[in-house]
Formats: sequence, C-alpha cells, structure tokens
Amino acid sequence: MEHLIKRRTLVQAGIAALVMGQARAQPVFRLGLTPVFLDNDAVVIDGLRRVLSRGMGREIELVQRRTYQEITGLLLERGVDAAWLCGYPFLQHADLLDLVAVPVWRGGPRYQSYLIVAAEDPAAGLADLRGGTHAFSDPDSNSGYLVTATDLRRMGERAETFFSRSIFTFGHRNVVRAVADGLVRSGSVDGYVWEALAEIEPDLTARTQVIARSEWLGFPPVCARRDSVGAEPVQGLQRALMGLEATEEGRRALASLQLDGFQRATPDLFDGIADRMRDLEE
Amino acid sequence: MKPFAPMPLSIKLPLLAAAMMILVGAVASHQVLRSLARVQDARIQELAQMHVEGLSVALGPLVLRHDVWEVYDTLDRAAQGGEGRRMILTAVADDRGRVLAATDPRRVPMDSDIAELAGDAVALENLSVDGSRPVLSLLAPLIYQGRMVGQIATELDVSDLLTERRRAVLILIFGNAVAIGLLSLAGFVAMRTMLRPVTTLARQMTETQGEPHQIPIAEIPRGDGELARLAHTYNSMVDAVAAKAEAERRLAERERFVALGRLSSSLAHEINNPLGGLLNATDTIRAFADRPDVVRRSADLVERGLRHLRDVTRVTLDQNRIDTTDRDLGPDDFEDLKLLIQPEVSRHGLDLEWSVDLTGGAECKMPAGPVRQIVLNLLLNACAASGQSGRVGLRARSGVEQLTLQVTNTGPDMPQSALDRLLDDGPLLPGGGVGLRLVRELVKGLGGWIAHAHENGVTRITVGLPIVREAANAQE
Repeated sequence: MEHLIKRRTLVQAGIAALVMGQARAQPVFRLGLTPVFLDNDAVVIDGLRRVLSRGMGREIELVQRRTYQEITGLLLERGVDAAWLCGYPFLQHADLLDLVAVPVWRGGPRYQSYLIVAAEDPAAGLADLRGGTHAFSDPDSNSGYLVTATDLRRMGERAETFFSRSIFTFGHRNVVRAVADGLVRSGSVDGYVWEALAEIEPDLTARTQVIARSEWLGFPPVCARRDSVGAEPVQGLQRALMGLEATEEGRRALASLQLDGFQRATPDLFDGIADRMRDLEE
Repeated sequence: MKPFAPMPLSIKLPLLAAAMMILVGAVASHQVLRSLARVQDARIQELAQMHVEGLSVALGPLVLRHDVWEVYDTLDRAAQGGEGRRMILTAVADDRGRVLAATDPRRVPMDSDIAELAGDAVALENLSVDGSRPVLSLLAPLIYQGRMVGQIATELDVSDLLTERRRAVLILIFGNAVAIGLLSLAGFVAMRTMLRPVTTLARQMTETQGEPHQIPIAEIPRGDGELARLAHTYNSMVDAVAAKAEAERRLAERERFVALGRLSSSLAHEINNPLGGLLNATDTIRAFADRPDVVRRSADLVERGLRHLRDVTRVTLDQNRIDTTDRDLGPDDFEDLKLLIQPEVSRHGLDLEWSVDLTGGAECKMPAGPVRQIVLNLLLNACAASGQSGRVGLRARSGVEQLTLQVTNTGPDMPQSALDRLLDDGPLLPGGGVGLRLVRELVKGLGGWIAHAHENGVTRITVGLPIVREAANAQE
C-alpha cells in the first residue's frame, strides 16, 4: 500500500480487467467493492484481484461503487457475483445473502469501531461531543454509523439532534481526513482502517485521537447471494480467499491489506451488530 | 525661476535637461506601472474566473445536494493543485449563504455565514491588485445550470504580484536614476562644452578690469555658428569701444588746446599791449641814457612789463601741462585762472566777480589739473554766453566734505544742446563743441556732480567735488 491512487486509475484497471476477461474462455467473475472499505488503493486492490484471479483460474472484474447501498443493490440484483460488504448490510439482507469468507485481522475475524476527534480536542467520550459536527462514513456501515448511532440511542439520544450537523463521507479514510482537517469535530471510523492508516499514513492519524472503541464486532465479510454461494464461481472465490496464505503472492496481498488471512464464518459472528440493529430499531 | 536666476547657464541648462529627463522617466515609469497593474489585474481576474468557473462546474451538483464531504474533498483536492498556492482560502456556501465547506474548515466552519468571511470581498470584475493588501477577497455566485445555487468566497494571495510590482518600481527607480545620472552628466559636459564660448564672452564682458578685451581667436568656435558670430561681433564691439575711447581721449586732448586757442588772441593781445609800452621804454632809455632817473623809471616799467609777460607765459604753459602734473589744487591755481580769463573778460568788456575762499579745508588732495580745466571751460563758456558788457562770476568755496564751484553769467540761458552735453551722457550730436562734455567727464571722474539753474537773468552752473580727506587718503 505504497501509493494512494485516484479512483479513475482504479476504473481504468477495472476496464482493462474487463477487456482481458472477455478475451478468456471463462466468464468474468464480478467482485463488488466499496471505497468505504480501505479506500481506493488501486495497487492493493489490483494485487488482490490478480492473486484471486490466478487462484480461481478466471478473470475477476472489480466493480466499485460509492456506497454500500449501491454495492448491496448490485449484489442482490446479480450485478456482481460476490461483494466485500459490511456486517450491517449483510444482516439487513441476511435472508438473501450468505457468507463466503471473513478476513482475519490481528488473529481474529473481528474489529472495532473507533470514535475519533482531533488530536487537540479535549473530549473524552461520546457524551462530550454534544452539539458538535460529526462525520459518518456510510449509513449502511456498522463501524462508520451503526455503532455510534446505537450508542447514542442507548444514551437516549438521536444522531440527528445530538450533533449540530452530521455528514456522510462514504469512506473511512475520508472520516479520518474530515476530523484531522477540522471539517467536523468527531467521526465514526472502522478501527481496522484507522490502524492500517496509522501504519501507512501516520501523519494523518496523528492529527486525530481515538476517544472510544466499540466492542469487538464481526469483520466486514465477503458475501454472495444465498442462491449462488454453492455455485462454482463463488466456491472458487472462497477457495482462492482461503488459499491466499498458501502462496507467496497471496501472503504479499494479505500483507498489503494488513490482514492475516480469510476464514469461513457463520452468521453468529455478527450477533453484536445484530444487537445494535435491534437497539436502533427500537 | 528666481532661485535659479544667479546660477550660470552652463549649470542651469543641464539641470533643466535632468529635470526634464526625470519628468519623462517619471511619466514613463508611471505608464509602465499602470500597464503592469493592468496586466496583473487581468491575470488575477482570469485566474479567479477560471477558479470560480472550474469550481462551479465541479461543485454545482454537490452544492445542490448539500454534499458537504464531496464539496470539501473537491476543494481540498483543488487546493493541492497549482492553483492552490494562489487561492489561500476558498469557501463554498449554499444559496442561503451558509458555508458548506472551506479549504480551511477551522477558520471557516461548516454552517457559518459566508458574509462574515466576505466582508471586504469584491465581485470578479472589480478584482484588482491595488497595492497594499497582499490578500484579495472575492465573492462570486456559484452558477449551475443557469441558476445560482450557492456562493464561492475566495482569498487570493497576491503578495508575489505585489513583490513583482515593488521590484519593478525599484528597478525603474534605480534604472532611471542611473540613466538620468549618466545622461545628466553627459548633458552637463555637452552643454558646458557648447556654452564655453558664452562663458568666455561673459567672463570677458564682466571680469575684465578697466576696458573690455577681445576674445582670443583660439577660443572662438570654428565655423559660422551663432556663437562664432557672437564672438566676432563682440570683438568688433570691443574694437569700436576702444576706438571710441581713443577718439574721446583725443577729443579731450584737443579741447585743451581749443580752450587755449580760444584764449590765444586774447593772450596775444595781452602780450602785445605791454610790448608797445616796453618798446617805448627802451626808446626812452636810449633817448635819455644820461638821465639816470628816467632810465630807472623806464627800467622799472620794462621790468613790470616783462614780469607780466613772464606770468602770462607761465600760466599758459602750466595750463598746457596740467595733464602731466599731479599737483594738488591750491589758491594759486585760481589766481592763474583769473589771469588766463582776464583777457577774455576784457575783450568782451565784462565785469568779473571773483570770489575764492579755500580756507574751509580745500587745500586738499584734489588734483589741480582737472579742476583748472573745469573752471576754465565753464568760464570761457560764460564769457561767450554773456556777450558784451555782461557779468561773469566765479565763486569757489571749500567745505568739510566738498569743494563747490559756481560759475555765473548774465547772458541768455544755455541752449538745450549745451545742457545735454553738460548734464547728460547721451551721444554727442555733430556740430557742438566738446568743452562742456569734457567738463562732465572730468566731474564724473572726480566723483562730483553738476547742477544748472537760470534765475533772474543769471545762469548758474554749480559743480560739487568731494574732498578726499588726508586720513582717508592715508588709509588707501
């Protein structure tokens, strides 16, 4: 993850992959991604695509949209064969979607949501942020929305009234930028992303501080439609993901994502998120 | 221009040239700076317009959706580009003027009023790098799909343009100063060289003692230019002045002889009259040689006659020699004058009133020659004017400060031409004598004055001559 490259490059890479895929005999496998998660680093994403493509023996087209809603919609209407979603939209559509694999980060398939403020901000917790401005990443993001929204609900508050204004940046890195630059006072961000950024962009995260961490929740999983999860392409993807640790190229791809590997998972991994969803709906 | 009046022309003209160059330099510099200002204004306006138009295109839909993050992200990415260095702050507000995002969110928070930022902002067409402010504020409408959906406030850093302008001013000042200095120096040298003949002419005219001198031929510019002609004309004038002075000197010299000439018949008569008596006396001596008493009386008679002749001769000779003596005036001189004028008085049958009193201190340092000439000329003129049986008088008095000479006659008043010669310095008209003008010249030379009056049939010419005291003389 040495370079952060613009989205256009990524699109070009996608188009190139599409052209290459059409040239092959096997139909192209379309994998949906959102910039919400590990924002737009084409080198990393392309590395992952190549190693998965090799593992699956077919070309992979990475389909990127701005929001979880768009990608989820694509997945549901078969616009993509599988997608790297968040636990929250997976649970929202648990009847139609199934888990393909879950990343393993720091030894487990879980992560946390961080509440961050500017480095010099005296706030010590969510309660201190009343009346301030706040940045969420995506309304369908667990760490970037649901956790803070349910925390507020548990405090008897609502995000719309607790904060003077809240915005959606549709990218965890954008949340960190918004807080670091002072556009907003606080932000809800994926703990994994914040920690990854602390490695690759320490100057950015140094301008923020984490004032609250959520409980450990199920890591954003790779999902497919329930009716296609048993089919070959998805099975091939699952095998390729599980087999990343086995090859040098796969380990490099995992290292660049700062992940340990992928593993199978069951829906109960996301019980914590389900609890929060219930709290929000009450 | 009065303060410059005493300045020589060879300084004044180069200074004038330098002043004109400074004026031209200032006007040219002003034009350059105005052009530079116009170019800079056009540049900054074009840049600001591109900035606003670019942002309008990029931000229009985002502002419509109130997508704060995308607005901020776009502004932030734009600020990372080359334009960002000029645009130190850009804020975008919605159609109600509420800030959606700014490149510096801490300074311009979300939802603040854009009017607070754009207090002294101007519209795009009024944007001008006006000199003192290193930061310009611009407020422009954000037009999207033909309607205003928001506002863009931008602060532009124009300190580099101001530095450029200051540098231009310094370069102009320094360049002009050097150019004007060099050109002024060259102008000074050129003007000085060109005006050298004039300087020489002025020096010859003002600094020469006594009489003017000619400009040496070597110092006259070559060719037939104005200055060469001027120098030649000046030399001709000097020649003419010298010739005139020489003519006047010769005229004055002649006048002395003229005066004596006018006296000569009288003097001949004066000599001739005793001669008859003397010859009679010698006959008597010869006839009565044996009578000692007769011989003695005749010898006495001869002696008196000869003494008279000796006096007349001496006075005549003295009068002729006066220009060579530096003797001081004394009562004897007036006695000589009386002797000289007596025959003329007798010839005209005039009464002579003679009153000389020099006891008031006039035995003084006053040259005898000029005074004798003055009195003689005036007396001769008076005798001539009185006609037959008139009255001529001389009254000489010495005071503490001056010697006063008064010559009177009972003839008709002096004609205007004679008065002009006596009392004025105007040119001499041909035909008149020079005796009166000589009087005037001599009186002027002695630092005195002349007055004329005609009252009750008496014409009175009064001459006052200042007495030079011994003490003052000694100091000199």
